[in-house]
Amino acid sequence: MPEAPFPAADAVAPPRRTHAPVPVLVRLGIFWLSLMLAAAVLGEWLSPFPYTQMNLGNRLSPPIGFGGIWLHPLGTDELGRDVLSRLLSSLRTSLVIAFGATIVGAVLGTTLGFLAAHFRGLVEQAVLALVDFSASIPFLILALAVLAFLGNSLGLFVLLLGLHAWERYARIARGLAISASAQGYAGAVRQLGASPLRVYARHILPNIASTLIVSMTLAFPEVILLESGLSFLGLGVQPPDTSLGNMVGYGREYLTRAPWILLAPASIIVLTTLSVSLIGDWLRDRLDPTLR
Amino acid sequence: MLRFTATRLLRAALTLTMVVTFAFLVLIASGDPADIIMGADAPPEAVAAFRTAWGLDRPIWVQYFSYFGAILQGDLGRSMRDGRDAIVLVMERVPATLALTLPALAIKLGIGLPAGIVAALYRNSLVDRAVMALAVAGFTVPSFVLGLVLVLIFAVNLGWLPSGGDETWRHAVLPVITLGIGGAAVLARFTRSAMLEVLGQPYIRTASAKGVAWRSVVTGHALPNAAIPTVTIIGFMVGSLIAGAVVVESVFSWPGVGRLLVTAVANRDLAVVQCILLLVAATMITANLVVDLLYGVLDPRLRSARAA
Repeated sequence: MPEAPFPAADAVAPPRRTHAPVPVLVRLGIFWLSLMLAAAVLGEWLSPFPYTQMNLGNRLSPPIGFGGIWLHPLGTDELGRDVLSRLLSSLRTSLVIAFGATIVGAVLGTTLGFLAAHFRGLVEQAVLALVDFSASIPFLILALAVLAFLGNSLGLFVLLLGLHAWERYARIARGLAISASAQGYAGAVRQLGASPLRVYARHILPNIASTLIVSMTLAFPEVILLESGLSFLGLGVQPPDTSLGNMVGYGREYLTRAPWILLAPASIIVLTTLSVSLIGDWLRDRLDPTLR
Repeated sequence: MLRFTATRLLRAALTLTMVVTFAFLVLIASGDPADIIMGADAPPEAVAAFRTAWGLDRPIWVQYFSYFGAILQGDLGRSMRDGRDAIVLVMERVPATLALTLPALAIKLGIGLPAGIVAALYRNSLVDRAVMALAVAGFTVPSFVLGLVLVLIFAVNLGWLPSGGDETWRHAVLPVITLGIGGAAVLARFTRSAMLEVLGQPYIRTASAKGVAWRSVVTGHALPNAAIPTVTIIGFMVGSLIAGAVVVESVFSWPGVGRLLVTAVANRDLAVVQCILLLVAATMITANLVVDLLYGVLDPRLRSARAA
């Protein structure tokens, strides 16, 4: 171990408040994410074929660069369906689910956190017991159990994934709301006759929004990974709908003969979660060092 | 200390009760298992016999209490497909899962902890950057992608290792690595930030300033303090020993608890799913309990606060 008399000097330096330039990696992440969002939104127009259209005469055609043809730039799968078209459709499904679930989780968690902060007492104990409960089971197992018991539909699936990380928002919202209530502004609007709903929605929420947004950015890639994991197991998005995890799951059968079916969606999953994570980390450092 | 332990135990029991209640509630919400298992075109008298055999014709609260009582006696129901006791079915899969998750845990601890500590000690150095880049990659690459890429490289292209199955120890290599790498990345990231947090504290500067050798500052002051948050995440990893390999077991066709769970979910074999749910929750709650009690050992402040 080298001598380092004051190793902590940079660790205790106050966070820089100046507007440092956006790091290259974060820029790349933002670029990739915008590309994916555009592809998901414009997918129907960009897609060369309907994603379910089969072309049995042209099965397992490799991508361009590996002996493929321009008709199917990313190749075709075991039923001759165009991989690019399927990828665009999958991307849209996965992103819609991930956005939906992240928002459900944030709304649910924040609401429960506010309720706990407002009523304290029994309500708070109940919310905290629920937090304990969700910490006691890995989310994947809980999700699998619910899917086994209740069956699967897209709506239920989004709601279920929304339960992921709700306890994080609840904990944050509760803590911040309790300390906000003690501050002048909340008391002032309350004295002016604002209803509790108004105080929480119009005054406290905007004040803690940046922390919640950072948490959402950090939870978003986890939801993508969960969705793709469950779909990979064949227990998430059900055919004929397709998601990124689904494509990997089906492509696995053709790992030796047609690895592109699997590698295309796999790289999209990795690059997208990586991008959102980089952006999330950067946002956290910029907006809210307390979450570290 | 006794009172603290008792409170923690009570809380753990309460959480376990909630898990059992949850399992019962979703069971009720899931609809009539008789219709699901017997099929829509089964003769009504056969369905009725099935319902009586499984006690599905009694009022809900009677079902709840008998359900609870049965679980307390260790009776977790029979597999509706297999006919055997669910607990037996699950327990015979546990060793296979542990054969993957225990070596993987060793990899996580063996690589994750030192990598995180070194990265924090040499903050912003090349080592730190490399560790952090790998840690982010390890977090964002889902285990099924990592597993399949490893299969593609080491089984399909190089032919060094088998791609799936459980016949020899060589079959375990790829799944263990897949599990270990991801966990090591998470642990490294976590350990690093815990270490950085501690290294920024005034007592570290005090110790350095009064001339304590840097090595002793690290081993005597920094590491014990950084251990407290790190133990939490290790507790979580120990708690997931039973169920932490669901996806990886599926990728590598490894006959463990995870594969059983996936098949049971696909077949809606509810007794088996329930049994695994309860087993996983019990493991996790026990691990959390041990972590809580360990805090007292690790942190004298908590001990004295409790004694007071």
